[in-house]
Amino acid sequence: MEQIIVEAAPRETRGKNAARRVRLTGQVPAVMYGGEGGSQALEVNAKQVTAILRSPSGHNTIFKVKTKDTEQTAILKDWLVDPVKGHLLHVDLLRIAMDVRMRVKVPVHTFGEAQGVKLQGGIFEMVTREVEIECLPSEIPTEFRLDISELMIGTQLRASDIQLDPEKIKLVTDPQRVLAHVVALRVEEEKPAEAVAAEAAAPAEPEVIKKGKKEAEEGEEVEEAPAPEKEKKK
Amino acid sequence: MLMPKKVKYRKQQRGRRKGKAWRGGDLAFGEYGLKALEPAWITDRQIEASRVAITRFIKRGGKLWIRIFPDKPFTKKPAETRMGKGKGAPERWVAVVKPGRVMFEMAGVDLATAQEAMELAAHKLPIHTRFVSRAGAL
Repeated sequence: MEQIIVEAAPRETRGKNAARRVRLTGQVPAVMYGGEGGSQALEVNAKQVTAILRSPSGHNTIFKVKTKDTEQTAILKDWLVDPVKGHLLHVDLLRIAMDVRMRVKVPVHTFGEAQGVKLQGGIFEMVTREVEIECLPSEIPTEFRLDISELMIGTQLRASDIQLDPEKIKLVTDPQRVLAHVVALRVEEEKPAEAVAAEAAAPAEPEVIKKGKKEAEEGEEVEEAPAPEKEKKK
Repeated sequence: MLMPKKVKYRKQQRGRRKGKAWRGGDLAFGEYGLKALEPAWITDRQIEASRVAITRFIKRGGKLWIRIFPDKPFTKKPAETRMGKGKGAPERWVAVVKPGRVMFEMAGVDLATAQEAMELAAHKLPIHTRFVSRAGAL
């Protein structure tokens, strides 16, 4: 297996202004924690981390974090992406030991065309896209591939349908969790134009939740009574 | 039109729309989505118009998720009314949208159909938007 190395440097500065300056140099603020040793503020190469996230093994890729005097094995634990620009803002790295079992989320992909879609006209829907497993870092699968060709309307693929080697990998996600299903198409009846126009012209007001039970029983008069006093005070 | 069933108060203050959508910015259900690039109040009518545009285009097939809900009332004073005499009556309902927010999601259709449907929906909205897909996400 090819060894991936991510260059990092200890980060002395803190705060959003310093983080912004770090990002301008092509680095990303990061924090490394877990395993032996405390948390460590770092700055890592943004391009290298982005390449890891876009690789087939994605966030489950194991790589070496190389600083000036140390080299530690790590995995991406969390990452923050700008919601508009889509680039990396911050990365959480988790130190790992290759002989300690760990929990990771592995993506689930499907192949084939469901019978329920082809013959019955249903819609295939992916409900859960990742399952959590427990295994050694060296045994983390890239993905789970499931055949959906036998799926009919009303049938589901569950987490227990994934073929796992019980000695190596333990499923943490609930085995009954639905991963994918085929649902019947719900055809929407179009309202007549008059009804739509009437609704648009006079939208009904929603019910206002009243404060307490007592007030609700006594009616609106009680609520309205103290209002004039307030106005006088002003 | 979308609107809340129950509210605690009939009227609200306007609020501010600064910042980005740090929540609701990822695709959560579907394969494709429409992302807002500007802050705006999206009215119930605009949401409904977008929904109709999408469902008419994709006809049978495909599933749509609307990820925004108009839960904020805005008020308006009647025309030719003098100022004062209190806040106006609730007029319509809006969803407060910030840049980065995924407003609509779609699944069960091919890429070209999704792009076309989302473009039609985008024409009904008062803001610039971007088509997003799972394949392009980080």
